[in-house]
Amino acid sequence: MPPPKITTLAEMAARVPDGASLALGGSFLHRGPFAFVRELIRQRKTDLEIIKQSPGYDLDILCRAGCVAKARAGIVAMEGNFGLAPWYRRAVERKQIVLEEHACMTLTAGLRAAAFGVPFQPVGGVHGSDLPSLNAWAAVKDPYGSGQEVWVIPAIQPDIAVIHVNDANELGDARVYGTYNWDRIMSRAAKQVFIVAETLAPVRSFTDRPELTLIPSFMVQAVAVVPHGAWPGSCWPLYEVDYPAVEAYMDMDRELSLHMAHAPERQERVDA
Amino acid sequence: MPDHWSGFSYLVTNLARFIRPDEVTFSGVNSTPPMLACLLAKRAYDFDFVYLNVAGGVQPAPSTIPISSSDPVLSEGSTAIFANEDFYDLCTRGGMDLCFLGAAQVDGRGRTNVSVIGDWHNPKVRLPGGGGGAVMLPTAQRAVTWRTEHSTRTLVETLDFVTAAGGLAGVVTPVAVFVKREERLALQSWHPDASLDEVRQRTGFDFVATGAATTPRPSVDEVAALQALDPDGQFERDAHIALR
Repeated sequence: MPPPKITTLAEMAARVPDGASLALGGSFLHRGPFAFVRELIRQRKTDLEIIKQSPGYDLDILCRAGCVAKARAGIVAMEGNFGLAPWYRRAVERKQIVLEEHACMTLTAGLRAAAFGVPFQPVGGVHGSDLPSLNAWAAVKDPYGSGQEVWVIPAIQPDIAVIHVNDANELGDARVYGTYNWDRIMSRAAKQVFIVAETLAPVRSFTDRPELTLIPSFMVQAVAVVPHGAWPGSCWPLYEVDYPAVEAYMDMDRELSLHMAHAPERQERVDA
Repeated sequence: MPDHWSGFSYLVTNLARFIRPDEVTFSGVNSTPPMLACLLAKRAYDFDFVYLNVAGGVQPAPSTIPISSSDPVLSEGSTAIFANEDFYDLCTRGGMDLCFLGAAQVDGRGRTNVSVIGDWHNPKVRLPGGGGGAVMLPTAQRAVTWRTEHSTRTLVETLDFVTAAGGLAGVVTPVAVFVKREERLALQSWHPDASLDEVRQRTGFDFVATGAATTPRPSVDEVAALQALDPDGQFERDAHIALR
């Protein structure tokens, strides 16, 4: 019998060693594994490497709490009307974290290399950008003679991909409603996959429509059920961004603990 | 028609005017003006085009207009989810006709910086970073950007960092529209309340202005479409766009 995959948020976060590399699902304020990120902060994790094409709140709050050593990212912002991610910005400007700046698709190319089991992966475009010299990326000439030069990105294999989904089942299968952003390739690239789900759904609902499953159970090591866990972001179609909460988070004079105290996973812990 | 053409309306309307019939057009993250431009074009123009967005929407009909241009509501009414890898791959294989991309600085060759103000390794301001530009700007058939501030610090002779190259097809600011001509940005038109002299003074790079004139005022349909998208002026207020 394999060990049961359903666990608590606290136990799931406890499995993350200091220094681990984490790919985080979702995009900007939408369907990010934000309850999980806050649990990392409560457990005072350090030296994490965060991998995500378009992080925002998640990378920012981890920088704010001093949990991050390195970020590999395409575009970092709070989005909406909030603009730049302030604590991330400060952490980079003060050299408290190392940034590996990507385009969203170069980061994806690195993840594709890991997912495909090859050491590097070609990516379209990038010509004329300063990013390759910054990152010491190589270009290769088409060995089949077209004369084209293509940039190639070394493999990026996260230790753990953490994906916030709408539904999971007790076996570990997971599905998302609306766009799955970059989550599919993250789940295929990472060594392990942790799922945070809004709802525990019957296995039968998955066998009825297997084509809706984004991540199959055999690839998943742990599942935590955390309703509203993408707060203060959105989880389509269940809830929208909590803009007043994001605005309060952005107040640089306000204690982080006040924001953390409003997190829905805290309420549930108290209730339980 | 209003006598005063606000910088916000000028920006959104002129972004919409880059959209052409039957083409595949994309709006992305952090991109409220292009999101509104695509939705405006759907309402104001009597032609169809394929509207894709970063929320996976394919010809969506969102029930509300979101603050965040990557909000999943932008896939409402869509018949498919065309997710991030799909639209990037479409772009790099040449299938994206028009792509709207953000920028902090733009140079006269239509290259962009969204990475940093100052030296990359010793940043004065760390900006959002690479995003779509480095891959989409050189591979989209046409890429267009916008700046809500028209000044010598946003339209520059020398970028602090070249995030993306490949030559923008167009740049829209609150007072001017630039288009690509012979690998350089050339002035196409300027705001009726501005002048060629003013645009030159406020632009950090040299440009040709042959044939440039004042921008045609918004049509009744364009005005009505923007009014319908922003009935109480919230987007306009949030954008904080001044002509000067």
